[in-house]
Amino acid sequence: MKKHFLLIGSLLFSSMVFGAGYQLNLQGMRQLAMGGTGVAVPWDASTIFYNPAGLTSIRNVQVYGSMNALMPRTRYVSAPTGTDIQDAAAKTYTPFNVYIGGPLAYKSPVSIGLGVYTPFGTGISWDDNWTGRYMVQSISLQTVFFQPTVSYQLTDEISVGAGFVYAIGNFDYTKALPLTNANGQEANAELTGKGHGVGYNLGIHIKANENVQFGINYRSQVNMKVKRGYARFSNIPSSVSSSFINTAFESSLPMPQVLSIGMGWQINENLKLQVDANYTGWAAYDTLSFDFENNTDKLDDIHSARRYRNTVTLRAGVHYTFRNDRWAGMLGTAYDPSPVREGFLGPDLPDAKRWLATGGLSFKISERLSAIGVVEYVFSEVRTGLSTENGFKGKYHTKVINPGLAITYDFN
Amino acid sequence: MKKLYILGLAVCGMAACKPNIEPKAPERGDADFSAYLAAGSSHTAGIMDGSYYLDGQMNSYPAMLGEAFNAVGGGNFKQPLVPGNHGWPIGKLILDYVQGPCDSTPRLAPRPFTGALDTTGTASNIYSSEGPFGNMGIPGSKVTDYLIPGYAMANPFAARMFKKAPTARAVDELLLPEHTFFTLWLGMNDVLDYATMGGDTAGPSKFRNKLTEQSNFRTAYDSVLNTLTRNGAKGVVMTIPDVLDMPFFNVIPANGLELNAKDANALNLAYNSTQVHFDVGMNYFVIEDPKQPTGFRQLVAGEKVRMDVPIDSIKCKGWGSKVPMPARYVITSDEVLAINNAIEGYNSSIIKLAASYKVAASDVRFFMRGVTDNGIQFNAADYSVKFVSGGIYSLDGIHFTGRGNALLANSVIGTINEYYGSSLPPIDVNRFSQVRLP
Repeated sequence: MKKHFLLIGSLLFSSMVFGAGYQLNLQGMRQLAMGGTGVAVPWDASTIFYNPAGLTSIRNVQVYGSMNALMPRTRYVSAPTGTDIQDAAAKTYTPFNVYIGGPLAYKSPVSIGLGVYTPFGTGISWDDNWTGRYMVQSISLQTVFFQPTVSYQLTDEISVGAGFVYAIGNFDYTKALPLTNANGQEANAELTGKGHGVGYNLGIHIKANENVQFGINYRSQVNMKVKRGYARFSNIPSSVSSSFINTAFESSLPMPQVLSIGMGWQINENLKLQVDANYTGWAAYDTLSFDFENNTDKLDDIHSARRYRNTVTLRAGVHYTFRNDRWAGMLGTAYDPSPVREGFLGPDLPDAKRWLATGGLSFKISERLSAIGVVEYVFSEVRTGLSTENGFKGKYHTKVINPGLAITYDFN
Repeated sequence: MKKLYILGLAVCGMAACKPNIEPKAPERGDADFSAYLAAGSSHTAGIMDGSYYLDGQMNSYPAMLGEAFNAVGGGNFKQPLVPGNHGWPIGKLILDYVQGPCDSTPRLAPRPFTGALDTTGTASNIYSSEGPFGNMGIPGSKVTDYLIPGYAMANPFAARMFKKAPTARAVDELLLPEHTFFTLWLGMNDVLDYATMGGDTAGPSKFRNKLTEQSNFRTAYDSVLNTLTRNGAKGVVMTIPDVLDMPFFNVIPANGLELNAKDANALNLAYNSTQVHFDVGMNYFVIEDPKQPTGFRQLVAGEKVRMDVPIDSIKCKGWGSKVPMPARYVITSDEVLAINNAIEGYNSSIIKLAASYKVAASDVRFFMRGVTDNGIQFNAADYSVKFVSGGIYSLDGIHFTGRGNALLANSVIGTINEYYGSSLPPIDVNRFSQVRLP
């Protein structure tokens, strides 16, 4: 009798979601300014990321540091008519890169280097009381990759390079739960975790002739394993508190493999053209799982379908060196399709196909010191999407402005 | 870093990096929403948790529709608000731990608010100071009540908001706010009064618990609809849902009697040579039934037990096991049939009258059947008709929570948009009230 009087049903965490296309292609500022191209032409020490084989082309030991101020602005509109517009908080993210590398000795065929960079990451934060709060209030994912690298010049034309990747990352994810306590406060869940993983980065660089060079780069998938994340609940009504006990969990998230090929063509003394294609193995992100240490009647393990699809991104850029050799200007563009399929689009990262327009300037401050400034502007498609799992639909639009700055210093 | 940020801001200051999608302005279509009148009974008035209180009224479906209509030229939608949140004239139900005399541990159950009510002066008539009202929902009213002169003298909810309470018919009061658009959800009490009393209609004081005659229903509904459309107003009528799907009739299952081997044996001995038989586990309750030679029998599948049956009597006095449960706490198969036939007939009248008056009909029965069978999802929150956990019904098991009302309002908006060619946006269900758990 008692059993049947008041059954409080299952309040599953219907989905725990990370972002969609959470890849950042901001590992070198000169490359970014040229639409993100850079596999074929080793401009500076950032080639440790774009193509480790290119490191043999760096004549001196170089230190390279850069930072971006990534400012995505996302709007959600729930219905075709009405007044309900929700803007995500205006946040600025600061991915960074540090590289050091160069030949082992003067004219040595062997070069070594180290890259520390942030190739994946995402974040969005909505109002705590917004209409999609049962899916996500805020989310952030950050990664840092450490990549010791060695490259070897086989012949005058061909170099190879390889790097080992050790990655660390962390994420933080909050959402509201549809439970109101006696004070009228809504319950909340926060999942935090630190993860790490390993991988590698391989490259070949070919100088076909004076004016044309090619590059091939393969960066392996890195599985970020979260061995002991933590789920915390707040404002849980005491009558159901035994079902929402703070608990540890295990999870993992794939940082997909990327295969890139590119060509650089010196058109004349001043002008260089670069084109790249990147194949990204997003299909690895098929299911997002959370395995909770303490399951309860309302807290099951989560297996949420993502079903990402592989993508091919096309990039092109030009580089113009001014006569005095101190200044150079760059322009570029790219077309970057979305890995998120129809029916899987959510407010945690409302991905859409995008077009990039980029430009930059570099200036040689002194013999050894250079600076590169870049601005990237991302137009993305207005996408009407549905998260089938949550019955959440609406129209999203994201624009991104992303200035960046790099400094390089050469040791003689 | 800081410089980069400033550079970005400077660029972003321009419209360049602001997403510029905007929803279109909603259109009103063929209807005029400038003055909205909601006619109906307790569900319309905003009864929630078994009582009348401010938050319940603010979370009524007419309040939500009134707000939605604002986007297409709707005017100020006035409700006859009560002052407090404890309930009037009786305390509202709250969810709490209660321990009856025969409970070994406290259990979670609704109980009435027992403190002093914050409703001083609520009974006074407020027509002259605040009326006329857009929300004319009258708790407890049947369709047939609308034709009775001086009805308000028997209904305190009507008495506080009618202009001519002592003499007027409810149908006449509906004309006081000059409306251009109406919703009409009447007829619930014509079946609920019977159902919630377990079909107990014997005795002169219980005449109100009878199911309304179909012909009387049709005549009265015709009269109300005729009045509402008199000034060329357009609107939507709402059908009556299958009330027996409400938690009030489903929280306690017909076979909710759990017995161990010892008790089952003892009861079987006591009921020896009758048809009553118990097994270990879940058993059907024993009820009074004058049609049986013994005067009692066990419930059968499909019969219902009222949620407000005294649990203490079941536990302490052996109601339903040692002692047959009084028939008024049970909806028997015959009564289930009578209720369903009545709803069928009422809805048939409602649909036909809507067609003849050329107003939209929102099939709440169809909508609620879908919700009962499959649940309903809104922006990652799942709702069902389950008591408390389902999120749709308030603690009385009959009236909706704010979110239940919002789901209903969205269904009505769907009907309005389809019938009148308007493009009202749906209501954000998840911002309205739900049951508070202790």
